[in-house]
Amino acid sequence: MRWTKADTTQYLPEKQYIDTVLIPLIPFDPSSDQHMVKQAFQRELNQVFTNLIEKQYTGRIFLAPEYYYISETNQEETTRVNTWVEKFKQQPFEHVFLFTFDSKWKKFEHDLAGHLLWVPGMGSGDIQSTETQSFVREQAHQISELIQAYW
Amino acid sequence: MSDKKRVSRRQFLNYTLTGVGGFMAAGMLAPMVRFAIDPVLTKKESGDFVSVASVDEITNEPQRFEWTIDQVDAWYESEVQKTAWVYRNENDEIVALSPICTHLGCTVDWASNEEYPNEFFCPCHGGRYKKNGENIPGTPPTAPLPHFEFKVEEGMLYLGEAKDTGGGV
Repeated sequence: MRWTKADTTQYLPEKQYIDTVLIPLIPFDPSSDQHMVKQAFQRELNQVFTNLIEKQYTGRIFLAPEYYYISETNQEETTRVNTWVEKFKQQPFEHVFLFTFDSKWKKFEHDLAGHLLWVPGMGSGDIQSTETQSFVREQAHQISELIQAYW
Repeated sequence: MSDKKRVSRRQFLNYTLTGVGGFMAAGMLAPMVRFAIDPVLTKKESGDFVSVASVDEITNEPQRFEWTIDQVDAWYESEVQKTAWVYRNENDEIVALSPICTHLGCTVDWASNEEYPNEFFCPCHGGRYKKNGENIPGTPPTAPLPHFEFKVEEGMLYLGEAKDTGGGV
């Protein structure tokens, strides 16, 4: 399920089956020439990942709108992330997963109200290349297994 | 003054009749010509079918085949990945099943659950299907897995649209 009209319409009557939400956490800093390319790439990669997971588990996972924040502000952002998590839990979603490539979250993992899924991403690369595709598939498969372990 | 340039009544009628007659003839001939060359103009129907695998690859055990199609949704044109479970049944007929669970749309896997080695299993809510795609009563899905339309040409398997077979258990 996604945050679209069609999917949310389907979600409401079937609520009891869809108990997991996946929130992509995506950092960016438009002022930094140095990080721009990398951050843009990781955003793309994040979308590919979460789309893949959502596609496989459409009937159980709800893919939340992406959570964007200015990079390096993780500590201040914790409160806002938790607001998102609380709101989703009111639905009620039983399992909330936060999917990110930003390792800075690891430090604040205990303050987060959801399960942090931090995956070491790729610094650079070509999103279309077969190498990236097999990497993404393999990783996404393992993440799905991890999520399944919580069910 | 210049009588030569004047159009006589006879000439005028001749021109008019030729003109009108010509239009009528064209009006009658155009559809005929259109019908005659129609097969050339129509797009090949096999455009809807995509070559997925060689027929030799298909075994009695369901295998996963993937291909991509271009899909246009009002605003976006995107490449969509499609998947099918393909195998030969006891009568040596090819069966191509859609992996989309009829419950809420997760992707089902063949024999992924150790307890049900000969069934399609949906990891989301434990939906199960027999090898022929029929849903097993007592599990969440209420309809069988859709079958893909298929054809075999020159040793290649072509898959088209997934069709609901109906008749859920």
